[in-house]
Amino acid sequence: MRKFFRRNTAGYVFLTPWLIGFFFLALGPILVSLYLSFTRYDMVSAPVWDGLGNYQYMFEYDRRFWKALEVTFTFVAFSVPLRLAAALGVAMLLDKGLRTIGLYRAIFYLPSLLGASIAIALLWREMFGLNGVINQVLSMVGITGKGWITDPDTSIYTIVVLAMWQFGSPMLIFLAGLRGIPRDLYEAAEIDGTSRFRQFRRITLPMLAPVIFFNLVLQTIEAFKTFTSAFIISNGTGAPADSLLFYTVYLFNEAFKFFRMGYASALAWVLLLIIAAFTALAFATSKYWVHYENERD
Amino acid sequence: MKLTRRTLLGTMGAAAAASALPFKAMAASQSIRHFWWGNPTRDERTFKVIEMFQASHPDIAVQGETIGWGDYWTKMATQTAGGNMADVIQMAHTYIHEYVQRGGVVPLNDYIGNGIDLSHYDAGANDIGTMGGDLYGINIGATCPSIPYNKRVFEEAGVEFDPLAWTTDDFAAACEKITSSTGGAVTGSEDLSLYMETFEIFCRQSGADFYTADGKLTMPVEEVAAWWQMWKDLRDAGVVEGKDQTVQLDKGMADLGLIRGTTATTFRWANQTGALQGLMQDPLGVAIVPQRAGMQSGHFVLPSMFLCLSRDAGDVPAALAYIDNWVNDEETLKVLGIDRGIPPSQKGRDILAPQLNETDAMVVKYFGDTQSQILSTPNIGPKGSGEVRDSFMRTGTEVVLGNMSPQDAADQFIHDAEGILIRASR
Repeated sequence: MRKFFRRNTAGYVFLTPWLIGFFFLALGPILVSLYLSFTRYDMVSAPVWDGLGNYQYMFEYDRRFWKALEVTFTFVAFSVPLRLAAALGVAMLLDKGLRTIGLYRAIFYLPSLLGASIAIALLWREMFGLNGVINQVLSMVGITGKGWITDPDTSIYTIVVLAMWQFGSPMLIFLAGLRGIPRDLYEAAEIDGTSRFRQFRRITLPMLAPVIFFNLVLQTIEAFKTFTSAFIISNGTGAPADSLLFYTVYLFNEAFKFFRMGYASALAWVLLLIIAAFTALAFATSKYWVHYENERD
Repeated sequence: MKLTRRTLLGTMGAAAAASALPFKAMAASQSIRHFWWGNPTRDERTFKVIEMFQASHPDIAVQGETIGWGDYWTKMATQTAGGNMADVIQMAHTYIHEYVQRGGVVPLNDYIGNGIDLSHYDAGANDIGTMGGDLYGINIGATCPSIPYNKRVFEEAGVEFDPLAWTTDDFAAACEKITSSTGGAVTGSEDLSLYMETFEIFCRQSGADFYTADGKLTMPVEEVAAWWQMWKDLRDAGVVEGKDQTVQLDKGMADLGLIRGTTATTFRWANQTGALQGLMQDPLGVAIVPQRAGMQSGHFVLPSMFLCLSRDAGDVPAALAYIDNWVNDEETLKVLGIDRGIPPSQKGRDILAPQLNETDAMVVKYFGDTQSQILSTPNIGPKGSGEVRDSFMRTGTEVVLGNMSPQDAADQFIHDAEGILIRASR
């Protein structure tokens, strides 16, 4: 134990700011929200103990809860692979030892800094609106556009595209990972006359597996928590027809529009369990596809 | 100088005295916040009133905060939760029950005649803002439902109708005429199927009400179905705005088809006519919500909004002075005009009479001309009725998108609404 701490001292020192924030700012509210999830609490009067009432209502009666899950799962299923693919694709393009690499890295990272902002969400709403840029471009090539955001069949994909565009942080991590792959592996493959695609499949992907795994877990968690873009684009309502009712948007509305903080806390804990389950699943399957170099086979 | 205990204390005392001076001046300068939902015209008027109030009350700093209707209630709820509501808040009849029941606004009984002078108010003007014998919301303007229409478009299409007595059939015919004569460039009307406010008038024409006085849901499912069917027919005929516009809920004024010139009518409370006119070139007219043949009128008058004192009001006397100024000061009433409704006192109306512009005069005339058609004021919805309104728009959207029949959607909506009210009453 002591040895463990001595070995990891530096790590904990670097973690200190986060640890302080966690213990003094986050831990209390987290525990209180667990308590509140078993109560009815309108934020004005005192919470009333309700046992499992919130959870029972959620699973037995609340159609919008299931709808929110459907929307969120759809989003995660599309946005995470697309974002990772975009990140890896751009990272591989940038991994060519260009002299201006720093500039390109910054340019491609930019959307991630902007993407979560309200301004971009507003811009997105205009772009995909009935008279937006997307439709104007489409009309130039003779395609009649439609209200991409106001059609419940397509609205969620506008947000998937927005999410995909924000591939900056996984891209940087992929870049670092690509740099770590020994060049001699590729040289050996070249000599053997292996095709580029085969090199990608047989060298890049396996060597990158730990990084892919890391990105997958992180991005999945991020995707489940998506809020701003959906909230802004749907005017906070999840409209049209609840097609943008992301789990977090629903949670926000329950808490801050309808004053059901107890129920919203229960929703938050269920989301935590869902994310934990997915993370656990990723870890459980990782031993079949993630190989660490310093691991003994 | 050698620092002794005495000089030290003396210095500290002097410093304390010096710092107390500006501190005292600061304590005397009170500060309050006023929060309202607005539109460009209303915001301009309100900030002018705040400016004037500050000129006459230099010791009270007033901070005005404004936002559109759609975001107003979210922000208000967040502030309520955070315990930092504005001192003076604007309230709507759809939400006043919720805030009274949750203790977000406080009774004003003790301040009437003792801080706030309402002696000139019309009899009964504050009935709707009174709950359980306590006055919570001061009526700051009466309004009534109206159909603002683009006069130029109506005339060019050759629509002839009586704005004070037209039927739903006349309305459909007008929509058809406008759409066909403009080749579809302008549709007859915005699709109002998701406007629960307009549906309330339709519903009351049949003799039914949304709620009983004690907050029970009495909205007949057949009326909901009939309403959505009527709009479905208009949509199918292609004479109202398309679904892409319709499913955007609670749009800002500038996004309305009436303002953008793509539709000829919409629904608004009559007091908003001036603000609409301010955003468009073509002259506006106001018509009553169309009647259904053989049925009674569904028209009514109600306070368009209230001023309330919030639970979090820190400086009650300053807030009272502000409210009192709002309802009594002549210059203030002049600046406010009828943007928030017709003043609920003869004094207020007399002050405004000489200065009304053309649009305002038209609205006042409309208000007077429809007096004979007024049915009783509808009962205010119970806690949860705001959420019922959301559910109405949500389920109605399914009809607009063609995913549900009007009848099925109506069945589902009523079922959901009952569930919402049961849950809200717990």
